Amino acid sequence: MSKPHAGVLEVAGLSIRYTSRTPAVLAVDDVSLTVAPGQCVGLVGESGSGKSTIGAAVQGLLTRETHVEADGTVRVDGVDLDVTAEAGWDGVRGHRVTTVFQDPMSSLDPTMTVGRMLTRVTGSKQESLRWLEAVEIRDPGTVLRAYPHQLSGGMRQRVMIALALARGPALLVADEPTTALDVSVQAQILRLLTRERERLGCGVLFITHDLGVARAMCDEVAVMRHGRLVERGPAATVFGAPAEPYTQRLVASRLTLSTDRQRPIGLPDPTVLTAMRETGAAPDDLEHRWERGDLHWSSFTRERTEVRGGHTLELAGVTKSFRTGGLFGAAHKTVLTGVDLRVARHQSVALVGESGSGKSTILRIVAGLETADAGDVYVDRTQGAGVQVVFQDAGASLTPWRTVGQLLAERLEDLPKKERDQRVRLALERVALDPALAGSRPGQLSGGQRQRVAIARAIVVPPALLLCDEPTSALDVSVACSVLNLLNLLRHELGLSILFVTHDLAAARIIADRVDVISDGTIVEQVPAASMSTDMTSEYGRRLLDAVLA
Amino acid sequence: MPSWLRRGETLAVVMLSVVLVAALIGPLLSPYSSIIPSGAPHLPPLSAGHLFGTDELGLDIATRILEGTRTSLLTALVVTVIAAVAGMLIGTLAGFVGGVLDTVLMRVTDLFLALPATIVAMAVAAGLGTGLTSSMIAITVVWWPLYARLVRGEVRRTARALHVEAARMSGTRGTRLVLRHVLPSVLPTVAVTASLDIGGVIVTVAALSFVGLGAPAPAPELGLMASAGLQYVVNSWWIPVLPGLAVGLLSLLFNYAGDGLRAVLRGKGA
Repeated sequence: MSKPHAGVLEVAGLSIRYTSRTPAVLAVDDVSLTVAPGQCVGLVGESGSGKSTIGAAVQGLLTRETHVEADGTVRVDGVDLDVTAEAGWDGVRGHRVTTVFQDPMSSLDPTMTVGRMLTRVTGSKQESLRWLEAVEIRDPGTVLRAYPHQLSGGMRQRVMIALALARGPALLVADEPTTALDVSVQAQILRLLTRERERLGCGVLFITHDLGVARAMCDEVAVMRHGRLVERGPAATVFGAPAEPYTQRLVASRLTLSTDRQRPIGLPDPTVLTAMRETGAAPDDLEHRWERGDLHWSSFTRERTEVRGGHTLELAGVTKSFRTGGLFGAAHKTVLTGVDLRVARHQSVALVGESGSGKSTILRIVAGLETADAGDVYVDRTQGAGVQVVFQDAGASLTPWRTVGQLLAERLEDLPKKERDQRVRLALERVALDPALAGSRPGQLSGGQRQRVAIARAIVVPPALLLCDEPTSALDVSVACSVLNLLNLLRHELGLSILFVTHDLAAARIIADRVDVISDGTIVEQVPAASMSTDMTSEYGRRLLDAVLA
Repeated sequence: MPSWLRRGETLAVVMLSVVLVAALIGPLLSPYSSIIPSGAPHLPPLSAGHLFGTDELGLDIATRILEGTRTSLLTALVVTVIAAVAGMLIGTLAGFVGGVLDTVLMRVTDLFLALPATIVAMAVAAGLGTGLTSSMIAITVVWWPLYARLVRGEVRRTARALHVEAARMSGTRGTRLVLRHVLPSVLPTVAVTASLDIGGVIVTVAALSFVGLGAPAPAPELGLMASAGLQYVVNSWWIPVLPGLAVGLLSLLFNYAGDGLRAVLRGKGA
């Protein structure tokens, strides 16, 4: 069927238009790429770059869509196919090309056991068991009898991979397969995917927004932006010596454990530059200094008159459990057991831990959104206006029908109107937002702008303590990079105390002076951020370290 | 939604506007009074000078229907607005404050929800005498609990939203928090429910009049006209049927218009 030397996927001059809107949206613009058998090609880009549209097109998922037009050719395993017509896809979709999606929960049938799903593909229970072992599921017998909702996210993704690979596909499309998973699980899944690919010799089209993942996984990468292929080549070349300015910016935005903590990260970014100039402490040749690597955060640090020392936040022996219901008498689930945590004045502490470790509960208790069952929570309110939070989902934390100006002004109710407007303008300028945006509603802003509005609201009156709940994990790399830079700028300029909750050690290292690792509701270790990679000894800490892709 | 249905809703809104204008200014334009006979009794529809004919007393049916429509609309509007406002107040209190207050308010609401409109109307009529006011009171009493339940649920859901927590962190509390960050998300739902309910209230008002618990004769009230004219249905069908059709048409128009409003609000992401 397939000619020798032919790729399992050959895309030439592919353009895809969504015509439901006028003018039509050009989602993919003249893209060509090839995946050879056994090769892993990464399709990298930020949201809206068209990478997922290509992923859907080559799986034949656009054939039933109305309002889609396409030009160019797609050839899967030697078969020429039309991405907008159903003809020919039978026997290809789900057989020659299979998929691992980002969210396994929504792609696994909730009414079937894993065993039933898998046996439909493999044909026998023995084969199914063998596949579950192949994807490193420890207790395959039990998992075979389980329903998807009874498994953890990582397990579900393993099942998904087993289902996709058991078909013996020529091409596997992996669309952000690890984005929804904990970082420590991510590393295992990636290793698994690589091993199985090499064993089976199938081609992989790996779609991701995460450059680190692409670098770890792929032989070749294609960088996309606004539907176009910006740069394409061997992974080592594209990441090592990117040719295009856009790729250069993306690569520079990526954080590793050796990123310099003392300087702004990434390439000079107009947003951050504007905010820096607003401080009045910026040197004249700001942009050149940044480019030369000669711009240090310390030059923004204001002289502080008050005495050093003391703590902004002290938690002592904090315990918390939640009622989990139960028909007869309430069951309790203990989330925190005796947590001791201190944040010194002007200090920035990162709290890292996997989902369910209790890190978000600590944040909510400090914020006053939950109360502790036992233990002391002390916030030194003489240092500023209480506690403020920047949430992960900035969009959901801004009331949709209020304007940006109204949202910010709510923290300034006591002031006269004129002064209030002035303070709102200043706060928006601090995060490099056009003061004219004060009249917009959150829905009219981009994701990065919304996150900056949330930060502006938090600092419009500088708080004693700023809590950040994974403020960058929902953002594109370059946007995340500028948000981290802004936070660092504010930290140095205003001397904010920060508690930064995350599972990304590379980001934690940039923002924090100290990293606290939490596991099962207890803080297991506290290490200085600067020497984190050598000092960290706890099992979970090491696992997180390994998960940060070099 | 198929486009012909959307067109149907637009048509309903247009027709409703015509009916509203007619009900408001129609009685002023009509040459006849609604309670003084103006022609021979039992004139069929399309008789000279009487579009819908006359009733057993020689009253002009068209004039009486116009005036009856005006009464129906006003009654329904007042009842719905009072019920919605009262329900919102109680539902918001229960949903936002929660705890014991929630339990008490919701049990009281359940109590009222269990009352049948007719029985309440009889009780009110026994106390205050029959009349439009009595039936309005009776309907309001049984109508507000629906809004209280609806609003309580919506408020509870919204109060848990991240943007409300964030507003709380900004120092906004109490009434201000509710008015600015919670209620605006409840309003569209209440508006849609209310616009769909007006039709139901119109029918209920007419039904109470029909069984003699509403305005006394010879008031131009649609339900009463239908009920009083029922004995002539064999020989002069138009006397009871036309007012009955008017009730049906009004309620149908409000239903369609309410659907249209819902579609519009949903389109806006509400």
